[in-house]
Amino acid sequence: MEESAYFDKYNPINNVWDEMYGLDANVREHYRKVIDYISKESADDLNKKEELAKRLFMSQGITFTVYNSGEGIEKIFPFDIIPRIITADEWAFVERGIKQRLNALNLFLKDIYHNQFIVKDGIVPIDIIYSCPHFLREMYQLQVPYDIYVHISGIDLIRDEDGTFYVLEDNLRTPSGVSYMLENREITKRLFPDLLPQCSVRSVTEYPSILYKNLLALSPRQIHNPTIVLLTPGIYNSAYFEHTTLARLMGVELVEGRDLVVNNHKVYMKTTTGLQQVDVIYRRVDDEFLDPLVFNPASMLGVAGLMGAYRKGNVAIVNATGTGVADDKAVYAYVPDMIRYYLNEEPILKNVPTHQLGNPDEREMVFKNLNKMVVKKTNGSGGYGMLMGHAASEQEIDEYKKEILKDPRNFIAQPTISLSAAPCYMQGELKPRRVDLRPYALYGPDGIEIVPGGLTRVALKEGSLVVNSSQGGGSKDTWVLA
Amino acid sequence: MLSRVAASFYWLSRYIERSDGMLRMLKINYASSQDTVQEFTWEPVMRIFAGLNAGEAEKLDNDSRSVLKYMVTGKNNPNSILNIITLARENARGVQEHITKDLWQCLNEYYHTVKDPRLERSLHREDPIGVLDVLIKQVMLYYGTVEITMERGEGRAFMNIGKYLERAIQSVDILDTKFSSISDNPDLLTDTTYWKHLLLSLGGYELYLKTYREGFEAENVLEQVVLNNDFPRSVIYSVNNIQRYFDRLKNDSNADDYREMSFQIGRLQSRIKYSSVKSIKQEGLHLFLTQIRSELYGVGNSLNQHYFANS
Repeated sequence: MEESAYFDKYNPINNVWDEMYGLDANVREHYRKVIDYISKESADDLNKKEELAKRLFMSQGITFTVYNSGEGIEKIFPFDIIPRIITADEWAFVERGIKQRLNALNLFLKDIYHNQFIVKDGIVPIDIIYSCPHFLREMYQLQVPYDIYVHISGIDLIRDEDGTFYVLEDNLRTPSGVSYMLENREITKRLFPDLLPQCSVRSVTEYPSILYKNLLALSPRQIHNPTIVLLTPGIYNSAYFEHTTLARLMGVELVEGRDLVVNNHKVYMKTTTGLQQVDVIYRRVDDEFLDPLVFNPASMLGVAGLMGAYRKGNVAIVNATGTGVADDKAVYAYVPDMIRYYLNEEPILKNVPTHQLGNPDEREMVFKNLNKMVVKKTNGSGGYGMLMGHAASEQEIDEYKKEILKDPRNFIAQPTISLSAAPCYMQGELKPRRVDLRPYALYGPDGIEIVPGGLTRVALKEGSLVVNSSQGGGSKDTWVLA
Repeated sequence: MLSRVAASFYWLSRYIERSDGMLRMLKINYASSQDTVQEFTWEPVMRIFAGLNAGEAEKLDNDSRSVLKYMVTGKNNPNSILNIITLARENARGVQEHITKDLWQCLNEYYHTVKDPRLERSLHREDPIGVLDVLIKQVMLYYGTVEITMERGEGRAFMNIGKYLERAIQSVDILDTKFSSISDNPDLLTDTTYWKHLLLSLGGYELYLKTYREGFEAENVLEQVVLNNDFPRSVIYSVNNIQRYFDRLKNDSNADDYREMSFQIGRLQSRIKYSSVKSIKQEGLHLFLTQIRSELYGVGNSLNQHYFANS
């Protein structure tokens, strides 16, 4: 009995899909080797591993800075040492689903910025498009290379109580977190020697090379060595570590807005030998800050004239600007219809049922059932400004209602979906905590490729359903088995 | 190489060199403050490394502990070790994909060591020399890591230019301060401990003993710190190295920029090389040092203009 002590003490949450704990009260087959492995380790050993993981993150500077009373405090993104495991079958399903969805979303973007057939055919209402702050008139009739808008995406998936996958949101602008997919794996290699090959876990290391290959293909100049840069908002950005990691792994220049200038509709970077033309920009700066001449005039993060150069076709921008119209939470409700409309296929991955609060009937229905709903802002992210109906007090609900009525278009409501749980190591025991999954899809001229893995975010607080790092979430290494 | 990246290399290196010079200076001064019957004054150190005038320095009561705290962990002192290492690290962060992982980790560790609240406590309660030694070791670790891991390219050339420029400026400043104290207090001219401490804080004591057999004399000290080619902290050694590493940029430079700066550095180098203790004394030490200092600043400004796109 000693051998599976961790498992015996494990208490799964009722009516929640558990990634490890099977319906027959046994370890699911794909988790067995990991549970066997850690059962041989004492709590002391596992604590040491946890400590080692923290130290590795800290000494490598994999940190983000929280500014408090004028002083920067370095924090690490909490990491749970027990991997989240996905079987080959589950992965095959997820992979097919994401490819299908991304295909449709990309076609939608092309359509919406050209002929708008989907609007004319009455599938998507026009007011939802034009009222979206991320819809950019500047993109209208612009030919982007290979008709690809979303080169990099992170689609967030969750599982309900019977294990069915749902898409929670599509991140099509500048999704972050991929460096954690890579770094978490590096840490696991150190924590559990030999375990990865024993379990035949598929490698994630190809990600930077696939991305680089795709970026290279986008160069407007047909030369053997085009200049590719990664545009970062700078060292104070919370994802700065990720930007340097990716630049290093791809061997491209990491630039800030002030390193670039536009002259005669061409983009150049300032080097010690003078100006050097830039061909492809993988930008991690939001649309709004990209070009002070076109968007936010106060932005210091972007490059004046960049959109002009882009419209002339002299530089490729990744992801294309204006993709936010497709991951808007109000547009999200129409993605299944898009899949049917553009691909003539049934959606593989389900959508969470979504109510538009701009619609009076739906709003009334939602207001009656607010305690069973999650209400979100359509352009919010990071878990800010959400109302979790089941956990909110009456007063909070009333205040939120007032907020909604100010501008109903900005809000959607979804039934509370209970996220699946996975075991986490906490003070000598395994405990179930809620997780989601963000695989990263790369769309290049050769098609869509998804590296087998992703970022599993976990709500470390007991009972919490919010996995965002800004709200007490952490991450896990994510294994896809061969 | 991106101009910003070059500038970050240069500043990263200047800050680290500055912290090294400061730590050694603090260590020797603290030691000598424990070894004197007269009242020890921190004023010269504060003037060189914190830009404080006499009045501001007096506010710190000339108390060794509070001076050390101000210079090492002082948040309000823009030139405290804490603040310049933070800046060095920020520069390194901005060029993280250009420096080796080892170097980044080493700087990160240096930063976390200075930031650690235990350091401030030890500085206050325990033996300050021990604390300063821990930090000096971090700098040595940095230099070793650069030496062993950094690619011998453009980036390292900018690092070395920054390092030697900072070092030359420091040596000039220290000399100028120390010699100007003599005009107020001529007794110092024959005070052997005064010169001994100057040499110790520059790490040139042993070399001096080997070179000069007749004891401590101001002229010999001047000769060693300005003109000795073998003394790694001498002005001429530093300027020779600025010249040497600037030469390495030739192939990576715009021809006009290179020519202009090459002329400027060459002129500075000759100015020092073809001086002697006698000629320096004739024209006046203070004037000589002031000119050298402004030429060194000029090199920094030209880099800004021609290479760092900060014009």
